[in-house]
Amino acid sequence: MLLEVRDLHVEFRTRDGVARAVNGVSYGVDAGETLAVLGESGSGKSVTAQAIMGILDSPPGRITGGEILFQGRDLLKLKEEQRRRVRGAEMAMIFQDALSALNPVLPVGDQLGEMFVVHRGMSRKDARTKAVELMDRVRIPGAAARVRDYPHQFSGGMRQRIMIAMALALEPALIIADEPTTALDVTVQAQVMDLLAELQRELTMGLVLITHDLGVVADVADRIAVMYAGRIVESAPVHDLYKAPAHPYTRGLLDSIPRLDHKGRELYAIKGLPPSLMDIPPGCAFHPRCTAARDLCRTDVPPLHEVPGERGSACHFWKECLHG
Amino acid sequence: MADTMGEPILEVSGLVKHYPLTRGVLLRKQVGAVRAVDGVDFTLAKGETLGIVGESGCGKSTLARLVVNLEKPTAGSITYRGEDITKLSARALKAVRRNIQMVFQDPYTSLNPRMTVGDIVGEPYEIHPDAAPKGDRRRRVRELLDVVGLNPEHVNRYPHQFSGGQRQRIGIARGLALRPEIIVADEPVSALDVSVQAQVVNLMERLQGEFGLSYVVIAHDLSIVRHISDRVAVMYLGRIVETGRDTEIYDHATHPYTQALLSAVPVPDPGAREHRERIILSGDVPSPTAVPSGCRFRPRCWKARERCETEVPALAVPAGLRYAAGPARHDSACLFAQERHEEHAYGPK
Repeated sequence: MLLEVRDLHVEFRTRDGVARAVNGVSYGVDAGETLAVLGESGSGKSVTAQAIMGILDSPPGRITGGEILFQGRDLLKLKEEQRRRVRGAEMAMIFQDALSALNPVLPVGDQLGEMFVVHRGMSRKDARTKAVELMDRVRIPGAAARVRDYPHQFSGGMRQRIMIAMALALEPALIIADEPTTALDVTVQAQVMDLLAELQRELTMGLVLITHDLGVVADVADRIAVMYAGRIVESAPVHDLYKAPAHPYTRGLLDSIPRLDHKGRELYAIKGLPPSLMDIPPGCAFHPRCTAARDLCRTDVPPLHEVPGERGSACHFWKECLHG
Repeated sequence: MADTMGEPILEVSGLVKHYPLTRGVLLRKQVGAVRAVDGVDFTLAKGETLGIVGESGCGKSTLARLVVNLEKPTAGSITYRGEDITKLSARALKAVRRNIQMVFQDPYTSLNPRMTVGDIVGEPYEIHPDAAPKGDRRRRVRELLDVVGLNPEHVNRYPHQFSGGQRQRIGIARGLALRPEIIVADEPVSALDVSVQAQVVNLMERLQGEFGLSYVVIAHDLSIVRHISDRVAVMYLGRIVETGRDTEIYDHATHPYTQALLSAVPVPDPGAREHRERIILSGDVPSPTAVPSGCRFRPRCWKARERCETEVPALAVPAGLRYAAGPARHDSACLFAQERHEEHAYGPK
């Protein structure tokens, strides 16, 4: 396993109380594999990624438990100095909003080249040549001419390509992409997703794709982990999950997608709202919104049960969900 | 529903909105224009939902603002109940505004954080005092909150005490306050969590039946637009390129842009990965300050030929499809309009 997160806990101490953002998350990704982490806002999907990358805002954020094994080493036991050498060179992140992730007053070529100067000790001149190569690789037309341009001179899709180029610069083993195409238009989104998938195959990288879009997941993921209120509630190979979800939350999400044969009828809607992380319901966090909730669900936190076919479900009654 | 539609209550014709680009401070010279909306026609019937889809920069939000009269068009007319509302005096316009209301995309910025929910929903009555007598307003506001599924007891709370979905309900309640005939909704659910979107879509549909509303819904999520729309118009760079009933657009699109858009949307069905043939467009949407000659989709179109550079295709049933039977025969602004026979239908069947 390239990356293995084990029982990770993250909390944020704020004036108003403690927000338990991540409450025992475990997932893994292999080289060449794409794991999609699906969740709504506040599900803890991005916080988990920040903890893996070591870019958690702390304070107020704090990792209170767990392990993050990357190529066998526990990243949480490394010193910041060692961590910095891993970040960028061995694992890299792609953010949703390229415009705010890039430095607005530095030409993109310099920002790309910086990776080689800092991590590989290259000269500025060689680094610029490398930058042009990278821009070519992510298919930015006229790379050599545009290497001195500033981020605002590029379109949203092109900026996201530069983000991808920056993440790939040192050929890391793992890429974490946090909603990489959410800010883009549909036709551009398809271009960028295709590019990312192709480069991943070429370099056999592990990819953790964080998204809220069931469509994007279905298009590119091998496995999927569904998060709710800071926990993984279901994990499965992507085909199996869409065919037969084993958790009522996943089932609800899939059922609320508008379907052709349901036109004119009411959409299925999960009732209620996602819980506040300051006040996560006891027992199963989903029970106040669950149509199948029983007494047990109100008191006992369901563990991630093993489900046949390398799957997991954090529902006491996963069998019923899977077959009903 | 579409077949039982009555007379149109709203008719938009030749609508244009250009924003001038100027240079210089003292001697301001116009050096160009952002052609945000560049000749749009559509009609809306009573009780109907028209969905408008398109990517960012296609002018769909400007179109919405024109329809509710937040902006004055550069040219063209908007006829509501037989009257061109773009030419009305301020006073006459006020009366019309009552009947055409808007719901905004972002429930976080479209509600005043310093006003209570009751004041927000009741504000339209301050502007249109004849809509409800003063003593009755409080009761009406509570009623509206109840109608949109909020607790009427929360009338004194502030927007920050509500979630995104609840805030969008507040925005909808405000839109309903004056009992309008038409609601223009600009991306009403795109800022909401997936599990909450369906709730708001259902609410909008229920209210349409209850109040006999007509909707213009602007969105980029094609599956939601399909679910709620009777008719769909696809916009590209300031113009409608294709329009028709939902199946005509979603299953029998004849414009290359619509086909590309439909094929690019990620489908929530991993089984579709293998047998879907996607059209990946090259490049980005051109800037509306430099609209290409002829067909404006031409630079990204794989079917473009010389004729497309010089001829502007009209939005009409294409010549080649005039005698086609069935749903392929609908308005499409392409000289070489044709159904695509590969698997491209959107959505799980």
